[in-house]
Amino acid sequence: MSQKELFQQLKNALMQGDSEALTELVKANIDSTDPLEMIQQGMMPGMAEIGDQFSNCEVFLPELLMAAEAWEEAMKIIKPKLLEMGQAMEKRGTIVIGTVQTDIHEIGKNILLNLFTTAGYEVHDLGCDVPAAKFLEEAQKFNADIIAASAIMSTTVTYQKDIIDLLESRNLRDKFLVMVGGGVVTQEWADKIGADGYGDLASDAVVVANELMAKKKGA
Amino acid sequence: MLSFLEVMERVTNGPMMTAKEYDMKVFIPAVKKAVKKYDIKFDPENPCPADDDLADRIYQAALDLYADCGSYCTDTQRNIRFTREEIEQAVYECPKVVYFGEGPDRVEWRGRMPDDNTLPNCHVGSGTETTENIALKMVEAYANISKAKTVSVPAVTNVGHQKSQAGSPIETLAGINMMRLGREGLRRAGRPGMPIIDHVSTCAAGISTIAASNPDFGARKSDGWIIAPHAEFKINYSSLNQVAYFTNWGANIGQEAGPILGGYAGGPEGTAITTLAYAFHGILIIRATYHLTYPIQMFPVCSTTPGMIYVISTSSQAFARNIGAPYYALGYASAGAATRQYFLESAAYLAAIQSSGIGVEDVHPNKAVGINQALPIDSEFSCSFAHGNIGITRKDANKIIKKLQKIYLPTIKDAPKGRGMLECYDMETMQPDDELLQVYDDAIKELKGLGLNFK
Repeated sequence: MSQKELFQQLKNALMQGDSEALTELVKANIDSTDPLEMIQQGMMPGMAEIGDQFSNCEVFLPELLMAAEAWEEAMKIIKPKLLEMGQAMEKRGTIVIGTVQTDIHEIGKNILLNLFTTAGYEVHDLGCDVPAAKFLEEAQKFNADIIAASAIMSTTVTYQKDIIDLLESRNLRDKFLVMVGGGVVTQEWADKIGADGYGDLASDAVVVANELMAKKKGA
Repeated sequence: MLSFLEVMERVTNGPMMTAKEYDMKVFIPAVKKAVKKYDIKFDPENPCPADDDLADRIYQAALDLYADCGSYCTDTQRNIRFTREEIEQAVYECPKVVYFGEGPDRVEWRGRMPDDNTLPNCHVGSGTETTENIALKMVEAYANISKAKTVSVPAVTNVGHQKSQAGSPIETLAGINMMRLGREGLRRAGRPGMPIIDHVSTCAAGISTIAASNPDFGARKSDGWIIAPHAEFKINYSSLNQVAYFTNWGANIGQEAGPILGGYAGGPEGTAITTLAYAFHGILIIRATYHLTYPIQMFPVCSTTPGMIYVISTSSQAFARNIGAPYYALGYASAGAATRQYFLESAAYLAAIQSSGIGVEDVHPNKAVGINQALPIDSEFSCSFAHGNIGITRKDANKIIKKLQKIYLPTIKDAPKGRGMLECYDMETMQPDDELLQVYDDAIKELKGLGLNFK
């Protein structure tokens, strides 16, 4: 099989969410092909395409999640090899993401988590019902660039403000970019609480994150 | 039907797994399997199909789905499982008629059938965010609509200058305040016995809802107490505590669910099956005697697209034909209030649910986002629609929906924002301004031209 064919097969297996096929392909070729190229030429284009298909409603959350799961399984084989070779994947930035305290709605957060991963971010999922202190603790632990906080209800959005208040109270506001989103969150609310970014849709949020990171790196 | 204690036994001792394992390894494969086995296919040319066989296949698919995956308790991390026989027995035994309210405002609510020639229950109001200063007048305005039989009262999320936070004492105070305002608004309209059948939408936490149900604050067991899951088929102790409390109080419990088209259930086919299967979750776990559904599409966020109309129409038909309990649906328009597009989207949604055999509720404008966005005229519109179109068939509804969608779909992603309550009502007289009345009259004229009637 030519490298071109291998990359195409990696892409196909990932887009079909076929963990078994993807990991078999990776295992069979990892000693003969640059693992970084397997990611960049095969898997990443697959993730990008399925992310686009999802945003255009051509596929739905199950397909996106299955592709993400296949990605994770394949990376379990690829990452040690990269380390062994002294290589590393270039990442756009590091994000900690969660749904705020008392809010147990996870779908929006899970979609965004996968779209961020697709876009090349290292993403750490904090789950739901996450207190402000936990956002900060995890952001510090992973040296995150962005704290992304989702809230779906009018009575939970105020916990997004708590995250910003906490950062300010610890003199850490400039250390992390804060993005907010969720069903009832608006640009007006994001502005009011002093968030750095807001996206109406999950796909918008990725664009906003890219812009924020570009500014940060340019600064 | 299995007792609540038996359900709790399974909540406590069912198979353990993480929520992600439940989503990925239990729920998603079960949906895909059910869609394939029962050959459910969405046809965008028939958003409101007149197909009894399809409705019954969706029912069978939902039975398979729920028997395969059950529900999931996030506190115990247990999968709550039921056999197909247990689910069918629960459906057989669940109440098919429910009584709400008191005195002259008492309501008897029965299930309907697709193409039914009876008036659906007209539910009005909105549990969307509303400021304290206008909430009372809003409820009074809803109750002044004589065709309306049951009501939702607004979510008031502030107490004085303090904003309510989920789970905080301010939320408890806000919930109590909301019940007081709600009952007082009904009294002012001369309908003190009118049933409030939404959950206490101000309250996210079970403890706040239970606190607000004290009769001293105006709450009654003859009201309806809705208990929400979260996507998909997940429940926690907070909700189960509400079940334990409301069943022992002898109150009407409603189950609500808003499956997401494009979410875990996938496309329109899986979402239709999931929407219906929530009834089993409701009957068995929530102990529901009535059901509210509000499936919604992920992109664009609303419930008036062809896929969403298919979801609500087919799942409602399946419910009506096979379960027959009181059921109603809440839609979300992409367009904001006081716009032509809002009324056209609403008409499409109402045509689908009324012809499919369930109760109607006014469609919420602007995806229910924003404060003070719901208007009393939205409720007047839905009641007038329900009374004017008694006996509307699925076949006729399908034709009208397609005509309406041709008009509003091109702008559904970038719909007009419209105007909120404070912008288009005189808050002293509670009358709409001339501009809104003109929009309303024009919309009614346009809809009459498409074959709909208003009374």
